[in-house]
Amino acid sequence: MTRFAGSRHLLYGMAAAVLGTFTSFAVAAETFSCPNEGGDMVFGQEAQVSGLDMHFSSAISTRNIAMHIYESLMTRAEDNSPIHELAASHEVSDDGLTYTFKLRDGITFHNGKEMTSADVLASYERYQKIGIDRTSLEPVESMSAPDPSTFVIKLKQKVPVFIEQISSFRVPIVILPAEEAAKEANQIEFIGTGPFEFVEWVPDGFVKLARFDDYAPNAAFEGKTGFGGYKVACFDTVTFRIVKEPGARVAGLETGELQGVEDVPTKAAERLAGNPDIKLIPVDNWWIHIAVFNQASPPTDKLGVRRAIQVGLDMEEIMEIATDGAYTLNHGLQYPGNPYFVEGGKEWYNVNDKERAKQYLEEAGYNGEPVVLLTNSDYTNMYNAALVMSEQLKDIGINAELKVVDWPTSRQERDNTDNWNLFFTGFGTGPSIGPQGAVVDLVPPANLSRAPENPELNDAWSRMQLEETFEGRKAAFNDVQTIFYENAYAIVMGDIQKVQGVRSNVDGFVPFRIPRLWNVWFEG
Amino acid sequence: MIRFIAGRLVSAVPVMLLVTLISFLLMKLVPGDPAMIIAGLSATPAEVEHIRQQLGLDQPFLTQLLTWYGNLLQGDLGQSLLLGRGVTTSILERLPVTLSISFYALFLTLVAALTSGTLAALRQNTWIDQILMSVALIGVSLPNFWLGLMLIILFAVWLGWLPSGGYVPFFEDPWGWLAAATLPAVSLAMLQMGLLARITRATMLEVLRQDYIRTARAKGMPPWIVVGKHAFKNVMIPVVTVTGIIFSLLMGGSVVIETVYSIPGVGRLMASAILRRDYPVIQGGMLFVAAMLLVVNLVVDVLYAWFDPRVRYGRDGD
Repeated sequence: MTRFAGSRHLLYGMAAAVLGTFTSFAVAAETFSCPNEGGDMVFGQEAQVSGLDMHFSSAISTRNIAMHIYESLMTRAEDNSPIHELAASHEVSDDGLTYTFKLRDGITFHNGKEMTSADVLASYERYQKIGIDRTSLEPVESMSAPDPSTFVIKLKQKVPVFIEQISSFRVPIVILPAEEAAKEANQIEFIGTGPFEFVEWVPDGFVKLARFDDYAPNAAFEGKTGFGGYKVACFDTVTFRIVKEPGARVAGLETGELQGVEDVPTKAAERLAGNPDIKLIPVDNWWIHIAVFNQASPPTDKLGVRRAIQVGLDMEEIMEIATDGAYTLNHGLQYPGNPYFVEGGKEWYNVNDKERAKQYLEEAGYNGEPVVLLTNSDYTNMYNAALVMSEQLKDIGINAELKVVDWPTSRQERDNTDNWNLFFTGFGTGPSIGPQGAVVDLVPPANLSRAPENPELNDAWSRMQLEETFEGRKAAFNDVQTIFYENAYAIVMGDIQKVQGVRSNVDGFVPFRIPRLWNVWFEG
Repeated sequence: MIRFIAGRLVSAVPVMLLVTLISFLLMKLVPGDPAMIIAGLSATPAEVEHIRQQLGLDQPFLTQLLTWYGNLLQGDLGQSLLLGRGVTTSILERLPVTLSISFYALFLTLVAALTSGTLAALRQNTWIDQILMSVALIGVSLPNFWLGLMLIILFAVWLGWLPSGGYVPFFEDPWGWLAAATLPAVSLAMLQMGLLARITRATMLEVLRQDYIRTARAKGMPPWIVVGKHAFKNVMIPVVTVTGIIFSLLMGGSVVIETVYSIPGVGRLMASAILRRDYPVIQGGMLFVAAMLLVVNLVVDVLYAWFDPRVRYGRDGD
């Protein structure tokens, strides 16, 4: 039995810790306290909120708000490694099949009820039923709550990355009161254990939260980290106002009606850079810009044609125009700095060799068949990238056709038709969760690229999840990335930055995958 | 008149049902569904289907349609697939927002357009006429989202007089409402002001050339009585008709303006519902919009009869 108790930080190789390697840090002597309390923090959010039922939404707009209300057993730290949140500790049996979680004491829900393992069990059972990412619980054989502070999961088979899966924040397994967990999708009252409690939601208008006075910060930490840590609500209230129009968002920040905003357009950021009332905070590695090949539809069913496209493109030009300059060139399916960042297939990235591309086309017997670039009008950077790419493809003699629809339609076209050769999308949250999240769309069963069966890929994908050590899984991920490049599954264009901005009197704001507004305060 | 109104209301029912049927059919033809949006990019077809079942979208088309009409008969427009609340609630909580801004915009439109149109007609071919009509032309030509952003920059960012967005309910804070609603109302009104001012001017010019106006002047009536009493009432007949259309356009234009100014109104609800493929909200919203347009048309017809004594419904032979 391996025990992880009061750990501040469970490194990425956590699953390997089943075999006995884990790291635990001593509790820090001094925990965070708000230098100043009070005020209403109004944050301008870009996207509409598609519900606040965290089990039933993969939307960033939901997560932005819901993660202030709800918490999970396990979550991720600043470097995305798994950490305890509502769990105080957990033990893994020697056979790796039984996970026993001890819950933290004194946790109360926003309705005043004390959290027990019955709530955890009910929440996990609800997630198994309706959770968008419920595949993460597929290895589960049974779950039980033997006493009020213990929650036990038994697996059908050993899954070394199980803790990484249940700590994922893509669609987090948040803990609801059992009576709410009995309700259907999108029918719950928004009651969690987080530092802020729900007050009001006017759809397309705003969501208002208020400090939860009975919140119990996690004393195993000294400050915030990732989605967890020692969290304190310094503001009386937080208002997420939905401001879809970028110009209006920037204007709101300038006038001070909004104290923080997400996604400041690059041109506006240049203008605001000299404004002493505003702090701009670039968030690097927000999103990997990618176009996925359809390997089932001619002419991209031929490797030669896909390779021609792969080597013929100038990524610098595409990314510059797609993002107004807010990008970094990156070949990887992980962000630089991530422990799983690997070099596999790098030689195929941003080659920009038109003559070589033409040679590949000739060898593949390409005869002017249309290559359809399926993009959408909702995400400007995807549309712009497709536009530039189509011109570059024409330069190497490819009959590129642009197909522009709205985002839901492009999803439908992608899933239900073969009338496309390159589908423009972005991998944002997936890569930040880890390598599995980064490539899950490209391997079976999702198999976005409609690639023929590839035993080599299946083996590497399997090793990514079953290898006992971090090094083993990283090597397997390197193999997967190499296979993607060598077989031209997709065109990775680079990483997009996102600029967030706050008024200069807002202190403690550190960008992450959501605009975290705990441990943030107004200067006095 | 009451019989006429009752008859119009009864005839509106099939129109509204037809509108809902067509919108139901159109939405089914448009690709993409909410399950796919909720599921996210990496969901397998099986997972998407699972969510579709949760939302009741796996039912046959006819079953969905009949269920919807069955609920409608009981006054229930259904539940939003994504908002976690009823469609009727969603619309009703936004209705005051859109209506108050639309009426404010209509008020601005009427005051500015009738004044400038009448003045331009009375000062035909002078610099006043040319300036007023040039302004009207600019108003017609400007895209309202661009105008909205320019007004935000000028009045919110540079001058700091008005808020850049958001909405304050009138009964909560009347001054706050006025401050928040002014820029959206002006943005909406600018487009329609130009149109109505030009119509007012053209009609006024035509009326001023009529014999009865010449007679009134010959009798020595003061000019303000000639224009205000005799000319203006006749000008109002086409103006009222156009005003009805303008109000419909103002309600429609609110989709863009509500987005620019971050106002949670009916237009934005509908636009978001379409983007999210939230079918019940789209259906309910369409029904509501159709009802609004029918009411506006009815009001226009009643006013038309009031302004023009020759028009008496059921007594057309006068």
